[in-house]
Parts: sequence; structure tokens; C-alpha cells
Amino acid sequence: MTRLRNPRRRWPQPIVWFLLGLGLVHPYQPPRRAMAQASKPVVHVFLQLDAKSSIVEKTLQQHLPELGIVVFGRFRDFEEGLTNGRPDAVLSITPVLQQRGKASCLQGQRGGKSTEPYLLASVNQSLEGSLAGKTIGVVDLLGHDGTQTFLNNLLKTKDIKIKRVAKIEDLLPLLEFSAADGIVLPSSMLGRLLERTRLVIKTKELLGGPVGLPAVAVLNPAVRDVVVRSFQSLDVPTKRLLGVDTWSVP
Amino acid sequence: MKWLVPALSALLFCLADCATGGSETGTGASPQAAAVLVDPPARTGVPTLLIAMPISPSFVEVRKSLVSEVQKNFNIHTFAVGPETTAAELAAVMQATNPVCVVLMNNATINLYYQVQTSNPTAQTPPAVLLMASFVEQAQARLRRATGIAYEVPGVTAFVHLRSVIATPVNRVGVIYRPPFRAFIQRQTSLAAKEHVELISVSVPNDVTAAGLREALHSLARKSKVDAVWMLNDNGLVRDAEFVDDTWRTELSDAKMPLIVGVPNLVAPGSSLGTLAVVPDHEALGLQAANLVFDLSDNDWRVDAHPVELPLSVKTVVDIKQVRSNFGLRPDALKHIDKALE
Repeated sequence: MTRLRNPRRRWPQPIVWFLLGLGLVHPYQPPRRAMAQASKPVVHVFLQLDAKSSIVEKTLQQHLPELGIVVFGRFRDFEEGLTNGRPDAVLSITPVLQQRGKASCLQGQRGGKSTEPYLLASVNQSLEGSLAGKTIGVVDLLGHDGTQTFLNNLLKTKDIKIKRVAKIEDLLPLLEFSAADGIVLPSSMLGRLLERTRLVIKTKELLGGPVGLPAVAVLNPAVRDVVVRSFQSLDVPTKRLLGVDTWSVP
Repeated sequence: MKWLVPALSALLFCLADCATGGSETGTGASPQAAAVLVDPPARTGVPTLLIAMPISPSFVEVRKSLVSEVQKNFNIHTFAVGPETTAAELAAVMQATNPVCVVLMNNATINLYYQVQTSNPTAQTPPAVLLMASFVEQAQARLRRATGIAYEVPGVTAFVHLRSVIATPVNRVGVIYRPPFRAFIQRQTSLAAKEHVELISVSVPNDVTAAGLREALHSLARKSKVDAVWMLNDNGLVRDAEFVDDTWRTELSDAKMPLIVGVPNLVAPGSSLGTLAVVPDHEALGLQAANLVFDLSDNDWRVDAHPVELPLSVKTVVDIKQVRSNFGLRPDALKHIDKALE
């Protein structure tokens, strides 16, 4: 990095405190891993859900009192958390666990199925025929290369340009701004998309799906029992928040 | 009115910090900010991405996200820009690092790059990605081989968010603008129409008075029958506490009209001003910038063919108390708000 002259010049303390008070600058925060209670098994959660990560984290923490829950809204944070935070277990969809070589010990199910279709949504008319050269938006689930491979498999083609977004809600602007020809999303997220927009959305189910629902992988065998017991005892609304209605043991 | 003092200071700070820049940003880095600006170790045979930026929290957040995305594919060299930085210094860094692409954050940094290009019009300069500057499209037009991401949050994004928070309808939104914003407003009108929102715009002179602004607001609220009002981040319309109190607050509190603002500090329960603040999500902006860099790289750095993108991701702050009292809160709205104030 190239630094400038006078690199140690600082803002006067009163200004710093003023800005801190306004929330415009942020004091150093410890890594999120450290926020989970050290004495409890720590579970890292990375899912595309119809709720902000902070809401999901708060809800899960209330309903999983024996576990320390850290919910990540973005792939890079999740990846960093896995590397630096060394969680005891991970809750995510199957492709994310598979990318990491993690086997699930609890598989989420909805309507008796452990997978769900993924959809290709577009404006006014569904994208039929070849997708060669099309730009497709998708939530960044697996990083630059991983998400490209994931989408290639879902769409059964390699000749597409992808636009990764950080959050599920960021897919809609891609359509509004005509920045993508289509977007890929789990079928469970279609309702929320239609609720938000007045664009005429057309969808088609992707041949390369379906994709595994949320599953739990235990990374520390010593805490397996408490993790499994805790997730199995979740109430119906909390499971619904996670997009499942029951858990099965693979 | 006391609450307005910090709020307006915040607005002015944000505008200066993120768009015009060039004040204290470069050399006023906190130790934490400086610490996170360490570049990853350079590797031989790997192309370099030069990031020229002020050191302040918003820029650091975007850089962090951008670097985490692209560091596997590029060496990163960060050049901290401050008020004393010269075009010659930027040119020297470019010569020393020979980047395949340069990311320029804020208007002051872009101006330096413009000076580098104009000082030697025939010299080849690397393609540039412009971020976190006001009116990026105008900046792009002045430069050779530049594209970028606009920093202004599109109105349609704000309107869709407002619609998912309040129970009352959002079909007609009023906005007041000064002449420099005319092209921006025209584009917003067509974007809003896609979501079936009619943008009712009222032009006021550059030197609009409090009475003139009040009249325009009154006309929007009473005659045009808009469902909400959108306040632009224009310090000509939000000058000081007294001005805001005499105009926006006076007119809109009587009309009980939802007000969309672009600065979180204008949303404060009890103040009866902003209902919803919609602000850029800087971490997501870093990801969008990384996508752009990858796109350009895949396209042999043909930057000119790549139009300026609109920002995709925002964060929302909502005055829940005001919403509940005046407009009704939609079921499940709280699940989708970044910061709910009561």
C-alpha cells in the first residue's frame, strides 16, 4: 500500500466522538466468532432466507439456548468465519456443505422432500431456448468460481455471464434496471419476490435442480448430540423461518 | 429543532465524505482503518489492480469487500488519497505498479485521474472503475476508458422498500429537484414507472428560498396528491436546521406524508421528518465492483462498451413509530428492515 505524507495525522477527539455518536464511524469490533458464547458449541448459519440475518440470528439464539449461533448474510463473511472462527457445526444448503466436503447429520425437509426446485425468473416472458450469452443474476452462495459452476450446472450451460449479488433482495433490482436477462432463485423465495414487485415475472423450473434444503453438518463430533437434539427440538415457526418443516437423519 | 443539528451535520459529512471528498479523508485515517488497508502479499506474474481511495470507514468497507473477492486473481495495490495528493503522485504510482485496471473512489480521486489523463493526452492509461462519487456518468464522460457504479440510490429502490414497509399505497411519489439533477430525475421517472410508481417532479431554482421550497412541497402534498415524498441528497435543498425546519418539516408533518431520505440520521423517532432512509450497502457495493472488474477482465478490458451500473444493494432505516401512527406497518415488515427505530 502506498501511504501519503503525514499518515498519522488524526481527527480531533471531539469530532471522532461526535461521529461515533452519529454512527457514522464504527469502533473496532471483534470477529463475530468471538461474540458467540465460548462455552457453547458454535453453529455458523449461511442461508438465503426471507428475513434479515440479524432477525434470524436473534430468533435462533432464543430457540437454541444450548448453542451459540452466528448467522452470516454473505458468502465471504461465512467463508472467513469458517476459516477463522472454527465453528462446531454449520447450517447451510447442501451445495455449500458439499463444497466444503462436509457431510450433513441432519437434513431439512419440506413437504416430505429434502430438496426444492430452483427457478429462472425473468420479466414479461420466460427465458426459453438457448441461454448462451445471457446475463443471469444469482445470490453469491459459493464465491466467484463456485457460484459460476453451481449456476452452470443448474442451467445446463456454460456460456452465460453471471451477476452475483450479496442478498436475495438484490436480485429484483437486476430485473428493474435490465441489468440481467433473468435471475435464479429457490422456489420458496418466489412469493416474496412477487410480493415486492409489480413487474410481470415469468418463471421456469431449472433442469439442473432441485437443490438440497438446509442441512446441519457437525464439524466437532464431541458436540454432535447437543447440536442434533437442539435443532430437532425447534418449534414449527422457527423451522418455517429456516425453510424446513422437519429434520431427517441421513 | 436541536435534533437537526447533528442530523444536518451528518448529511453534510456524508455528502462530503462519500462524494466530493478531498477534505480530511486521506490523512485522517483511524489506526483501525489504516490497519485493514494492508495489501495482500504480491505474487509474480499476477496482474495488479490499483485502488486509489480516501481512508475513511465507508471507503474502507467497500475496499475490504472488493479485495476479498478479487485477491485470488489480482495483486492489490492500495493508494491512499488525501487532500495533499497530487496528480503526479497518482501517475507515479500507476507507473510503478503498472496496473491492468485502476479503481478510483470519490470525486477528488477521479479528478486526479482526469488530470493525469489530460496532462498527457496521448499516453495510454489503464481502464478505470469509478466508485462512490456523485454523478459517475458525468465523470465517465470526461475520462478515457472509464466505467463504474453510480452512487446515488435509484428512487425505484427506495419506493419498493417503502411499499413493503407501510400499509398505505405508494403509487405516486413527489420529488423536488434543482436544475443540476434534471437528467437524474428523468432517468428515475422511467425506472419508477417499471414498478408502476409515478414520479411527480417539481423543479425549483438553484437558489430556491425557504418560501419557494415550502410552496413546492405544499403543491406536491396538497395539489398533486402524492402518496410519499422523496428528498434528494442535495445540500441546496437541505441547507441547515432552520431551513429544514421551515420547509420539509413544516409542510410534511401537517400533511402526514411518508418521507424517503438518503441519510439515516434524518430518521429519528419523535422528529417527524424522515420515514425511511435508504442508503448504499457498502459491503455489497464492493461485491458489485468485483463483478464489474471480473466482467471487464473477461472482456479484454473493453471499458467503453460497459455502461455505468446502478447500485444494487441498499440498507434501510425506518421510523417504526411514525409508520405505525400514520401509515400502518405491513405484516412481516420488520423482518426486512436493517434498522428499525422506535
